[in-house]
Amino acid sequence: MPLDTSAYNLALLRVDGRRWNELRRIHAQIRTQPAADGSSYLEMGHTKVMCVVTGPSESGARRVGTTGGAAAGALGSGGGGSRDGDAEVVVSVVLAGFSSVDRKRRGRNDKGILELQSTISSALSSSLHTHLYPRSTISISLHVLSQDGSLLAALLNAATLACIDAGIAMTDYVAACTAGSTSTYAANDEKADPLLDMNHQEEQELPGLTVATLGQSDRVIVLVCESRVQVSRLEGMLAVGVDGCKQVRDIMDKVVREKGRRMLEEGAIEKGVGLEDMDLD
Amino acid sequence: METQSQSFVVLPGDAIDPSIIPTTKTKPLRLGPGLRHIPPSEIVPTVSGKLIVDPRKNSMWVEYNSHRYIPSQNDLIIGQIARNAADFYYVNISPYNSNATLPHLSFESATKKTRPQLAPGQLIYARVTLANKHMDAELECVSSTTGKAEGLGPITGGMVFDISLGFARRLLMAKSKDEGGLQVLELLGEEGLAFETAVGRNGKVWVGSDSPKIVIIVGRALKETDEGDLGVDAQKKLVKRLMRDMR
Amino acid sequence: MPREAEPSLNEKTFVLQALQEKLRLDGREFDQYRPLELTFGEEYGVAEVSLGKTKVLAKASAEVTVPYPDRPLDGVFQISTELSPMASPAFEVNRPTETEVLLSRLLEKTVRRSGALDTESLCLVAGQKCWSVRVDVHVLSHDGNLIDACCFAVVAALRHFKKADTSIEGGVLTVYTPAEREPVPLGWLHSPFCVTWSVFGEEGDIAILDATRAEEQVRVGSCTISLNRHGEICQIAKLGGTAVEAIALLNCTGIALTKAKELSSYLDGKLAEDAKRRDKSGRAELLTAENDRVTG
Repeated sequence: MPLDTSAYNLALLRVDGRRWNELRRIHAQIRTQPAADGSSYLEMGHTKVMCVVTGPSESGARRVGTTGGAAAGALGSGGGGSRDGDAEVVVSVVLAGFSSVDRKRRGRNDKGILELQSTISSALSSSLHTHLYPRSTISISLHVLSQDGSLLAALLNAATLACIDAGIAMTDYVAACTAGSTSTYAANDEKADPLLDMNHQEEQELPGLTVATLGQSDRVIVLVCESRVQVSRLEGMLAVGVDGCKQVRDIMDKVVREKGRRMLEEGAIEKGVGLEDMDLD
Repeated sequence: METQSQSFVVLPGDAIDPSIIPTTKTKPLRLGPGLRHIPPSEIVPTVSGKLIVDPRKNSMWVEYNSHRYIPSQNDLIIGQIARNAADFYYVNISPYNSNATLPHLSFESATKKTRPQLAPGQLIYARVTLANKHMDAELECVSSTTGKAEGLGPITGGMVFDISLGFARRLLMAKSKDEGGLQVLELLGEEGLAFETAVGRNGKVWVGSDSPKIVIIVGRALKETDEGDLGVDAQKKLVKRLMRDMR
Repeated sequence: MPREAEPSLNEKTFVLQALQEKLRLDGREFDQYRPLELTFGEEYGVAEVSLGKTKVLAKASAEVTVPYPDRPLDGVFQISTELSPMASPAFEVNRPTETEVLLSRLLEKTVRRSGALDTESLCLVAGQKCWSVRVDVHVLSHDGNLIDACCFAVVAALRHFKKADTSIEGGVLTVYTPAEREPVPLGWLHSPFCVTWSVFGEEGDIAILDATRAEEQVRVGSCTISLNRHGEICQIAKLGGTAVEAIALLNCTGIALTKAKELSSYLDGKLAEDAKRRDKSGRAELLTAENDRVTG
């Protein structure tokens, strides 16, 4: 299904009607699962992701467990959070069979999924204060309900929100989004505009990258580019991506604050002394 | 019979010429590592290396180089604290091996209350007190006769470098220059570098100095001497080259 | 599962302290590779790469198979990696570690997905017969920077490889032995090279190239950039780890490009040298059955 990229130059509108620097609608909720330590639900356009965090809990026999669990555990430990005395961040990603058009079943040991898990684990352990929870495991399980591009970004954002909900100490939000370029690699178009937040169709046709930054800073935690693109275009794409991450961070921040305010209003939590002067906006 | 010690190259199972076996009536013959006595009177090498015969001590042994360290009593080693248990530390002597134990009270003037607190990953210089082939080795950081540390204990700062076991043994020889053919440390000292070293029989050498630059130079000198099996002249050249690189 | 031996606290602190004073344990500059060596085997498609003490062997091979039903016009191309206990006691047979998964993903993305090999040229009879090219990567010794070494070995092996010549007459496919017809090289489009930066320090402000094993154990993050000499990025992977300033990443990409160009010309030189060595009679020109093709 070739994407008619020539149309962009006429109206400067993308296939779904967005301009180059527009994010898709992001809708997020936290504390969706009452039984979990932390949970979130996140939509970036049509990409829908659910996340449940358990922990920090005592790491049990997981480390020496059987193949399935150990494989995930071993991979999850990649983030540098596995050092003795630091909490281990174990991530599992499940792509629901109905989440994409082709209904292709991807096994648990699919290398792409293992890579996703390892990336998320490593990215979050750089923000989470894992040294505060020695010898414990933070287990993050992510379920992808619907895929429409920017999958890694959505997973990272959902995991961040769920970790905030779980009350795990962290340096700052890990905010992620994608950026692309308007013309294909082959077009060799020097004037290609950067694009923010790519959907599935754009991801298939155009070069793009996923960026995750630490909160409002320009510091990049994750940078993944899987397509061929000229070096000269990287700067523009990265700049747009980092800027998008800041917008995403603000949206997530709003979601968290809104939830906090509602919980106070509903009396779900006591308004303690310290919360008196909390900024509720 | 000569009084100087001699050396021959042997392979496992080689027959040893009976004429080179020292025969002194007063002292019993002592066999060192790498040799096996098959009664009544056969002596067979079990490893390949240099057979050293010392008629004065009436002893013989095989000097050989290997990579994996097997603890033996009274060896000085550089270990790494793996974790803390109720009243001893687990110490890693060589990677992928079972840990040795170091009792909390085996430190200079240590009591239940004043024992040193060591973090996992901390390096220590210790002596092997017990090495039984069916048990984990046991270490101490204090001399059991004098009650003094005598240089043993936690190592702070500096860097460890991995060397071969044979090289570590040569470094530890009392006269490493004459017997071991090693002059590299002295040469570096003559160049005016201020550093200290500690050699572990488990193939580790620790180098400490105020300046990381000096540590790196000494470390590189040691590793290159070991890997290239350099003679004294080559060691001189190496030191000159490294000193030139440093500037 | 044997865990990798952790460096001691002293080593960790020292490596960092030295790096802050712009010193590396082996006296290299931050952006300097260890001596890289490439040797080709007697057979076509065998490349052995050593980078300091890291040693990698790649072997390319080809056979005729049936193409995948969903891609009738493409040949089959796969890269398989094996990290055996030979390389390090931390690796086990038949149980992929994280290192192995990430390594094979990176090779896949760098070489396969970037379209370095023209898979359409592997097709013999649409939907029925095609070449299946595979590269087996064996890590012989692991002293850090496996990714760069493996990628270089894969590209070198594939560019050196020649498959048997074929012809189709009246629907009958004939595969010629090397004695009958000189084997032909693969349809090669461009040569990507991986350049891996290792990041150190709390703020991630120190970046070095070609880290050794000791350095890799202390690093807080890494970023692998794959480029070809035309200045095209084939893949970037900074999979988590400590955050790094975006500007610093752009600088790293710039330096990586010059490194990729150096690697590229080194490989070209070696290939030319090997071709010359094989072509003793000087008649290779006459024997080639294929038209000249510009390779990248």
